[in-house]
Amino acid sequence: MASGYIRVPLGLLSMSLSSTSSLAACVWIPLFPLRCEEARHAGLAAYPTAMLAPDTTRKLWQVSSLARHAGVKPGMTVSQAIGLCPTLRLIEPDPVHYDDCFARLLAALNEISPVIESRELGLAYVGCDGLEGIFGSPGTIVDAIRGMMERWNDGMSGAGSPFHRSIVPTFRVGFGLGKFTAWVAASRAKPGEAVIVPVGAEEKFLASQPISVLPLDTDTHRRLRQLGIRSLGALAALPEEAVTAQFGAMGRRLWRLAAGRIAEPVEGRIAPEPIVAALTFFTPVGERELLVHALDQLIGRALKHPRRIGWRVHAVRLRADLEGSSSWLAAILLKDPTADGGCIAAPLKTRLEQAPPTGAVERLVLEFTAFSPGTTELQLFARDAQAAARAGQQRALQCAAREIRMRVKRASLYHVIEVQPWSRLPERRYALIDFEP
Amino acid sequence: MVAPARAPLRTDRLRTLNAPRLVTVELNADGAPAKVWRSRDNGGGQEETAAVVDAVLEMWRIDDEWWRKLISRRYFAVILESGTRVVLFEDLVTREWFIQTP
Repeated sequence: MASGYIRVPLGLLSMSLSSTSSLAACVWIPLFPLRCEEARHAGLAAYPTAMLAPDTTRKLWQVSSLARHAGVKPGMTVSQAIGLCPTLRLIEPDPVHYDDCFARLLAALNEISPVIESRELGLAYVGCDGLEGIFGSPGTIVDAIRGMMERWNDGMSGAGSPFHRSIVPTFRVGFGLGKFTAWVAASRAKPGEAVIVPVGAEEKFLASQPISVLPLDTDTHRRLRQLGIRSLGALAALPEEAVTAQFGAMGRRLWRLAAGRIAEPVEGRIAPEPIVAALTFFTPVGERELLVHALDQLIGRALKHPRRIGWRVHAVRLRADLEGSSSWLAAILLKDPTADGGCIAAPLKTRLEQAPPTGAVERLVLEFTAFSPGTTELQLFARDAQAAARAGQQRALQCAAREIRMRVKRASLYHVIEVQPWSRLPERRYALIDFEP
Repeated sequence: MVAPARAPLRTDRLRTLNAPRLVTVELNADGAPAKVWRSRDNGGGQEETAAVVDAVLEMWRIDDEWWRKLISRRYFAVILESGTRVVLFEDLVTREWFIQTP
């Protein structure tokens, strides 16, 4: 899961800040991790390449098109792949880098629209309700998104692991009513291009699409093909009740998606500013016991953070910078939010046990990324809840000011300041000055 | 009122607040405002609106800054027929009338 959140301080979480948008643009960069590697290693794209799985170095995760032509497929073992393609270049995954790249992309898209939903690495939805008033037609909205992506790509060229090659030509953009239509449109777009589905034309557009665009498991896909259903139009032509009787509630949803009856809105994700604790090792550490010990220390330190008081931890990420510029990442969503160090550590220790870092660790970083309110008693001890709330209001004000500036394209928020409050002439007492939070 | 927390004050970016706006005033027999005409730009041209003065609350006079550019004004705090409280003043130098919020 990418960490590209719209970050707000904890104090704001008590407020309802969900935002949705019916009109959606789907931004899709297939094989995002591989594209990031091709971008930062000049010349890599000219070779057949494959990326190792983050949890096991014996299997392949992502495969370039050149490698695919040679018969290499994701999930193959390294020895199988080398046997098929002796010139294959293997890449160790650097999940922290991909996560960082994607978070920056989401932040860039957030300049276009305040409603951004990230689905997975390389796939995000941009809420487009109201953007017509700013940019104009869907075509110009898509152009604005493309322009922002180019700015993101240029920005990455100046980052720690700079991009030497543009990712922009691999972007696909789909625009339509609801996330599904936008996703299908993006999946039909050629690399670097966009497909726009006008509002009202969803049914016609979807009818000709293959059923593989539906969120299907392999078994359902096989059954549909056995029934001779190969397009969404063919599925939508069946009675809804019959599909529901055959495939249950999932069938009903699939039928509605295929018929263009569901327009799931883009849901802007709100996440708190994470609490971070980090430890840089004097010499790289490979022993699991030492890592576990360091993890316990980091958890203890993060739990003592003043902003955590009164809140239980709901999501936690542990990332490690490894020797040789690769990385390791574990993101855990706790079933029961807790403030107990042992409960937070347990799933991370399991992950360290089952899928340990593939190299010696130079730096270990723990992040609490989502929180739940503690009990009423705990909330009483939220020492800086008021301060966090004030900071949250300031942050919300900044967001609102930025949005207004973007919409009206000029400064329209002002502070009232005292000039000569003692003056007998009313117009000299106060003045306005541009508000820049 | 919010104090500017971060940005340093730049006087070139100051905008006037509560600037006097030119109006036309009809006086009663006592020399106090009885009716006010105000013109505003409605996009396609000037639109003039009138308001009757319901009551004069108080009046005062300011004579100031005679050493550079004389300010001489006669103020009337009035209530219009709509119930709005405004300040009208006559610039005694130019003989023009202006409206302002109190």
